[in-house]
Amino acid sequence: MLHIHDLHAKVPDGKTILSGLSLDIGAGEVHAIMGPNGAGKSTLSNVLAGRDGYEVTGTVTLDGVDLLDLDPETRAARGLFLAFQYPVEIPGVGNSYFLRTALNAQRETRGEEPVSAGEFITLLREHLAALDMDPSFLGRAVNEGFSGGEKKRNEILQMSVLRPRLAVLDETDSGLDIDALRIVASGIERLRGPDRSMLVITHYPRLLELVRPDRVHVLAGGRIVASGDHTLAHELEADGYAGLTADLAPAGASTGTA
Amino acid sequence: MSPASLVLDRLVPEARDGRPALGRAWLDAHGLPTAKDEAWRYTPVDDIVAALLRSRPGPDVGRSVEPAVLDELVVDLGGPRLVHVNGTYAPHLSRTDGLGPGLWVGGVEELRPKRRPGTAPADEPADGFHALNWAAGRDVAAVLVDADSTPTDVDRPLQIVHLTVAGDDPSSVHPRTVVRVGPRSTLHVVETHHATHGASVTNASTRLVAADGATVTHHRLLTAADDAVHVARVGISQLAGSTVTSTALSIGGAIVRTAVDARLAGEHARLDVSGLYAPVDAQRHDNVVTVDHAASHGTSTQTFRGIVDDTARGSFSGHVIVRPGTVGNDARQSNPNLVLDRRAQADTRPWLEIFADDVACTHGATVGRLDDDALFYLRSRGIPAERARQLLVEAFAGAVLDRLAPPALRDHVAAVLAARTPGGGRGD
Repeated sequence: MLHIHDLHAKVPDGKTILSGLSLDIGAGEVHAIMGPNGAGKSTLSNVLAGRDGYEVTGTVTLDGVDLLDLDPETRAARGLFLAFQYPVEIPGVGNSYFLRTALNAQRETRGEEPVSAGEFITLLREHLAALDMDPSFLGRAVNEGFSGGEKKRNEILQMSVLRPRLAVLDETDSGLDIDALRIVASGIERLRGPDRSMLVITHYPRLLELVRPDRVHVLAGGRIVASGDHTLAHELEADGYAGLTADLAPAGASTGTA
Repeated sequence: MSPASLVLDRLVPEARDGRPALGRAWLDAHGLPTAKDEAWRYTPVDDIVAALLRSRPGPDVGRSVEPAVLDELVVDLGGPRLVHVNGTYAPHLSRTDGLGPGLWVGGVEELRPKRRPGTAPADEPADGFHALNWAAGRDVAAVLVDADSTPTDVDRPLQIVHLTVAGDDPSSVHPRTVVRVGPRSTLHVVETHHATHGASVTNASTRLVAADGATVTHHRLLTAADDAVHVARVGISQLAGSTVTSTALSIGGAIVRTAVDARLAGEHARLDVSGLYAPVDAQRHDNVVTVDHAASHGTSTQTFRGIVDDTARGSFSGHVIVRPGTVGNDARQSNPNLVLDRRAQADTRPWLEIFADDVACTHGATVGRLDDDALFYLRSRGIPAERARQLLVEAFAGAVLDRLAPPALRDHVAAVLAARTPGGGRGD
């Protein structure tokens, strides 16, 4: 499904953020990426989604299609979805209109018939109920004035409607109280299936107790430094990242370990 | 000879009595504005005068315009409609049957016997173009509403259409609209100005009077071909307890200057004036709004938005005057601008003259580009870049367009705008 090989990413000022990251996610698998601040987690999600501003080399394929040459909208139509760590507020663009425009743009790119307004509303109401979201939310502008929890639920709603092949969830658990976390986690679990893979990027193992990953990877210094099953998340919580990242201090920097 | 004399000689060789004579006398005394006039600072006024001096009075071609042709140029809101072509009433394009109770419409000939001395506030040209409108104008679209009448509703506004049809030679046209709404009455009126392809100068004047307790909704839409020049002055007089909502939108036109002069002459008057301008290519669109709080306890808001693309320049000057001796006035002003091209320019200028202590006055202006984060967010959901830009531009315009009624007008403006500003994808 997703194949990442030797991925490097630099920002224009020359700072290297990803340095040789490789990762394979099979169909239906959920992988988690954990790592300390500054490890490159958000850069990985931005690079996968096609955000401007990085010099990228390496290979990223989704179902055999090279993603790195595609613009963000084409990646989305090919089945990639990024749940943003900080969903963007877009005043003046209604949530429902936005989501139908997105769905039909993807369908058009894939050569599929558009979904009518009536079909779309029916579809949307089902997902809203599942995510415990008020229907009034559809008439509001995208993320404008939403609480942190509402923004994250809106990301899961979008994912539910767009039904991606691969979902990248960038710190979707951050800023959520325990009730919101459960709702978001059950929304993610509902979408789990043999045709859909997920990459869950997180700081904390909390979410991973509710969405049990098939594999857990530790990202540090711009590459994967350790991988294991879901128990790795608990080991990290107990021991921290220090043991895994001690040998990654850049040359010339202080080599003292915490 | 002064430019004013040259323009009069060329465009109004024959002297006429009444309002034309007043306009001529004012022009003789004061002349046309120049680039040195503060209120004309952002308008290429010399270019407008030069265009006038190349022009001939617009031909009287109203009868040759087929209704089907008009329908292609101007949105039809379905209610009563007065159509003027090149400044002259075109009865075959108009609909005046089924006017609501207390509503009277007519032209200069019908208006004359109705004029009652002493009922109109003192009226004098605001500047040389306004005076030229009086001197050279042939007709007037007049709308009078009796006291205690509600002849229109939001779904069926009265529509006034001013069509400028350019001739083989450059044409100049001076349309005039007068709307007087009686005490405690309500009127919804939509003015649509359109200039066809070809060189033309339209020098329009709208006068709107809201008597005590009257409620007036007035939308003014200009759509113009790329070579058209349009100068507009909307004069608003409000008496006590009146409410006026006025919107001015300009889409198209090489040079467009829209002036809104509002005077809140009676206490507890409320004014909400908004506008949208969207110049593209090398167009120049200037908006000059003056709100004069001449009585106490008035409330005014000015909300103008600019969307400026290519090498265009869009300008807004918001002038607020609060007269001495007044109390409790509240004046607000905002002017956000969206600049879609590095070469485009937006000017914004608040101009506050506050001569009273007990007053609340706020103003805010921004000039910004499309939000990269929002663009990426939309694209990451599968919306193509061009459509994403368009969505963001529409959303920006929506803050003004959402004030438009009926919905058919809003939809029409949104469609015209979408055709004119393809989301900033050009040249940048």
